[in-house]
Amino acid sequence: MLRIECPCCGPRDHDEFRYGGDASANRPAYDDPDFEAWYRYVFVRENPAGLHREYWQHVIGCRQWLVVERDTRSHAIASILFARETRA
Amino acid sequence: MADGSTMTGFEMAADDCAIIQFEAWDGAMAQFEAELPRILGGPLPTEVGDTARHDSWLVIRVAPRRFWLLWDGPPPIIDVDPKLGCALPLGEGRVRLRLSGRGLQYVLERCVAVDWETLAEGRALQTGLHRVPVLLLRRSALECDLLVPRSFSKSLIEWIADAAAGLNRAIYASPRTDALSSAHASQRTG
Amino acid sequence: MRRLAIGGRIDRSQQIEFTFDGRAITGFRGDTLASALLANGVRLVGRSFKYHRPRGIYSAGPEEPNALVTLGTGGRREPNRAATTVELAEGLVAESQNRWPSLNFDAQGINGLFAPFLSAGFYYKTFMGPTRRAWMFYEHFIRKAAGLGRAGEEPDPDRYDVRHLFADVAVVGSGPAGLSAALAAGGAGARVVLIEQDFAPGGSLLSDPADAESVAWLSGMFARLAEMPNVSLMTRTTAFGAYDGNVLGLVERHGSGTADPKQGQARQTLLLLRAKSIVYASGALERPLTFANNDRPGIMLASAARVYLNRFAVLAGTRVVVATDNDSAYRAAFDLAAAGAEVTIADGRAEPIHELLEQARRRGIAVRTKSRIANALGSRSVRAVTLSEPGGPATVKCDLVAVSGGWSATVHLTSHLGVKPVYREDMRTFVPGKLGAGLFVAGAVTGGFTRGGSIEEGHRAGAEASAFCGIAKSVQQPVGLELTEIDAGSHDNSLSASLRSAPLPHFVRAHDGSHTVCPEHHRPDRSEERWFANRTRAGDEKGAKFAAGKAFADLQMDVTTQDIALAHREGYESVEHLKRYTTLGMGTDQGKTSNFHALSAMAGLRSMAVPEVGTTTFRPPYTPVAIGALAGRSIGHHYKPIRRTPMHDWHVANGAEMLEGGLWMRPWFYRASGRDVNEAYVAEMRLVREAAGLMDISTLGKIDVQGSDAAEFLDRVYVNAFAKLPVGRARYGIMLRDDGVVFDDGTTSRLGERHFFMTTSTAKAADVMSRLEFLLDTAWPDLRVSVTSVTDEWAAMSVAGPNSRDILAAAFPDLDISNEALPHMGLLEEKYRDRRLRIIRLSFSGEWAYEIYVGASLGTEVWCRLMEAGAPFGLKPYGVEALGTLRIEKGHVAGPEIDGRTTLDDLGLGRMVGKRSGYVGEVLGRRAAFSDPTRPRLVGLRGVEPGRQLHAGAILFRPGEPMQGHGLGRITSATYSPTLDVWVGLGLLARESAVEGAEIVAAYPITGQTVRARVVSPIFLDPKGERLHG
Repeated sequence: MLRIECPCCGPRDHDEFRYGGDASANRPAYDDPDFEAWYRYVFVRENPAGLHREYWQHVIGCRQWLVVERDTRSHAIASILFARETRA
Repeated sequence: MADGSTMTGFEMAADDCAIIQFEAWDGAMAQFEAELPRILGGPLPTEVGDTARHDSWLVIRVAPRRFWLLWDGPPPIIDVDPKLGCALPLGEGRVRLRLSGRGLQYVLERCVAVDWETLAEGRALQTGLHRVPVLLLRRSALECDLLVPRSFSKSLIEWIADAAAGLNRAIYASPRTDALSSAHASQRTG
Repeated sequence: MRRLAIGGRIDRSQQIEFTFDGRAITGFRGDTLASALLANGVRLVGRSFKYHRPRGIYSAGPEEPNALVTLGTGGRREPNRAATTVELAEGLVAESQNRWPSLNFDAQGINGLFAPFLSAGFYYKTFMGPTRRAWMFYEHFIRKAAGLGRAGEEPDPDRYDVRHLFADVAVVGSGPAGLSAALAAGGAGARVVLIEQDFAPGGSLLSDPADAESVAWLSGMFARLAEMPNVSLMTRTTAFGAYDGNVLGLVERHGSGTADPKQGQARQTLLLLRAKSIVYASGALERPLTFANNDRPGIMLASAARVYLNRFAVLAGTRVVVATDNDSAYRAAFDLAAAGAEVTIADGRAEPIHELLEQARRRGIAVRTKSRIANALGSRSVRAVTLSEPGGPATVKCDLVAVSGGWSATVHLTSHLGVKPVYREDMRTFVPGKLGAGLFVAGAVTGGFTRGGSIEEGHRAGAEASAFCGIAKSVQQPVGLELTEIDAGSHDNSLSASLRSAPLPHFVRAHDGSHTVCPEHHRPDRSEERWFANRTRAGDEKGAKFAAGKAFADLQMDVTTQDIALAHREGYESVEHLKRYTTLGMGTDQGKTSNFHALSAMAGLRSMAVPEVGTTTFRPPYTPVAIGALAGRSIGHHYKPIRRTPMHDWHVANGAEMLEGGLWMRPWFYRASGRDVNEAYVAEMRLVREAAGLMDISTLGKIDVQGSDAAEFLDRVYVNAFAKLPVGRARYGIMLRDDGVVFDDGTTSRLGERHFFMTTSTAKAADVMSRLEFLLDTAWPDLRVSVTSVTDEWAAMSVAGPNSRDILAAAFPDLDISNEALPHMGLLEEKYRDRRLRIIRLSFSGEWAYEIYVGASLGTEVWCRLMEAGAPFGLKPYGVEALGTLRIEKGHVAGPEIDGRTTLDDLGLGRMVGKRSGYVGEVLGRRAAFSDPTRPRLVGLRGVEPGRQLHAGAILFRPGEPMQGHGLGRITSATYSPTLDVWVGLGLLARESAVEGAEIVAAYPITGQTVRARVVSPIFLDPKGERLHG
């Protein structure tokens, strides 16, 4: 099992979290009418063998959405931040 | 409350529990943290999981910008400046289970993935109990509160009671000392 | 085979009675089932998997391939337990396996004669292609003939538990390295859990004579550890899996048949140990030798013979051939000789070191060099071996053959996370690869087989592990075991003294001080490996000369050297293919003793080096784990948590038949309405259409939305606008996913300028909540909005039907619920007994209706108040079945239509959007593909064959078309309509065929029925909504 260190709750089993997909995909602005941009955001993925930025929500804890950098080969986690921090 | 001297070494009591949630807006946290203590009459807990007690009130920081205020007695009237944040009553939706006794750790180990030994008194954390989100508050060495969603409360009470079923046999000797001392003893006699 | 009068680590004061195949046998506390059987002369314990060959006890630990037995009876029956790992317990019932009619006479032993047909790949070749049908016929017989134990059919009455544990340092294995690591980490102040699979801690030290120097060392270690409150030792506990985040899966056994489930005692406990750091001190397993008939009872690992002698005081044979390609077996030979056995050593090497030969000579042991076993004679028990020697074959009579083909480090756990073990040519074993942060190894698992080295290494690993946890207090290293210092001369005639007299090579540290590299002359040579590889070559003359019987690579799966050669010839050369083609290593022992030789053989056949061939993948569990332990207490009633509404008890007390939906329990129908659901739902529909019904809707998802940007937020998440919704009004809203497919629907009411109350479907409540939080945290953190689930906060009920206003007025006479004060889609926020009360006038059924929300603790009280006030108006409760069918009549879409594939246009809801933009799913929702004429459209279907039922799930075809494939669409929901006295349904039908008035055929594949229906408007009832508005 993965242990994910929530920035405010500490390390927890992964079953306290909900996976939220690729965090490196850029979500267009809510009113962006560009079809291509939305198409890329929803459907086009890198699938890297290595570090992957991904969203996880501590859904059975503080309910914060996090950005986790995980190595897809080893599951080693390089960094974890609140999603709100990564936008600043 | 039970002091753990009872025969079973474990007690559980369920009660209603008054809760108000406060949330500060992102960007207004500093003002909020200055304002709210004036209303509450004491400082806010600084870290998620910390608690602060003032008279009959207990404030728990449940998320970076969220606090739960728990109290006994008549409900406090608190207005939060809508420029700073908002408030929401949550007490109807949760039930407080008070767990106590010498068998507490035995029961908790079978219910939650929480390191009870390093959880300080007065600390709270949110975790899953049988996959249900709960808030666990350590009150003292042998006592904790669990705030559980009301819809799951009966099911969780049964789950906890079932976890305690093996307690009569296990409570009086910790498995640790058993294994090591018997290993030691068998070496001496063997 | 006999129990010696003295010695061993058994408690002779405690006799234990047990049965094996019905025979009553006595052992002692401290015995395993295997040692007690051997002590009582039981040599034949089972029949083999494919060939039904007689098999005995081969090892003394979890690597056992042969001695699999079934334990217990009835629901407690547990097949395929290795007798070598079963702690003897009073009343234990053990049975041999895979024999018929009895162990001594097995009718299917004859399978051996048909062996050519049972070689590797036999099933695939024989039953693929045109003969595949034959498999159907033969499978039953083949499955019956081949196999292991049989599981019980009754439910297991025992209790299994799950515990969550935490530690700074976990130490796996309590041999010299593990104990030393635990002492170092414990002394530093770390919280240590020391894990031992055996019921006795000590690891390899337990195979020393009971009065050897190592015993005092062990005792001293236990005494020091027992003084540390921060160190716990868990015996009878197997670390079966290593997982990410330094989590170990452990299973603790609480004794056979002694745990009483009625007392809450668990038979096994699964432990999830979250450690900051782990020290693997898992030791090494001895490898066998390969020769013809190497599976005969009486042939066992040399280390096992030594364990049975020294730990259990069982002399497993009196005329012993010790066959080896390395030094370690000499310890077994010397101990067996000292116990009175007549010992011959067959050493495959040309020149074993002089020191060893000299010591053997002193003990009267004949050492034959360049000598290897070619064949074992005897059937139910070995009676002689044929040795292949430079001077020609020689036969030596014996009743025990102790074999050693070197040692394999127990790298399993260190490899579970995908770290491939690496081959050490100097040690001829795979050792752990580069481990992740906080993971350490010590002792024989590193390939270093000296005790002094293990103790040093364990100490270092324990100190490093605690330092990794930030705990760095240092502790003195335990005294090493320097057995060389013991004087050998003075007690020549005493058994014990002679046992500890030998300065055996494996106790001696290398001269350069390193302990991981064995001195050159102690290295096992590779002759065994080469010979094995040669023999597996088909048609090899030298091999064939002695091939009087099968030579087994994998004893448990009955895989022979010929099978490996066959796999090679047929191109299954990679180790993963070899494994699957021959089933090598696929038994319950997972090839612990067999894999290395088989991989070496394949390397030889391919003229490659062992590391180039590699190993198969190691996966948990290390040893078998009962499914019951994995399930723990989450069975039956506790399989999952149950969610109850505030009025749950009322429903049960008032005759509701409850239905599970997700985790929720909801009233399905009330038995007062009818004998079964079909009768009841029609009656409950009539009730709502003609008088009034009360329904518990507390399961709806409810979300509180607050903040100055709340309206803007809702405008973005819903396809329809909310910003202009007046305070005190509610609106139906639809959410899309980013890809434009409909996500969920619900009603949101405005409580204030900055405050909304959202409801979602029951099924999607958690997903919607999480999605809203996602958007706020990741996409629009600038919006000042707070969302909180209040699903549990509110009891919710719907009173629906023409009499509902009268009922509400009677129940709450103080409230103004006139059409003006509370119009359709209007909201009242009031107080009930000083608590919040919300009434929203909205309808799901198409009738005049109200939703009433009150604090959960008052739910039952308000429900009863409504029931009481409504009785004169005919109010009765109704269940989810009627709720679901009422909305079909009204043409409201729900879960069966909002199925994660349909768009707004598919559901006929496109008009809700208008010209809006800037909502989730807008851009991709306008994809060209969503306008394709083959896309489905929501239609109503009205049965045209009186009395014939429409079924949800039926496939729609044009009349006269062949009924094949997916048709033009399907019925999503169907009900009998008491209003129309006809079966009606909602369906999704290809747009080009969705012409009102057209006839369609609905084929229901489950029953094979076809029914004709007419395509109509999905709104069957009151299309103008007069019932809603009055």
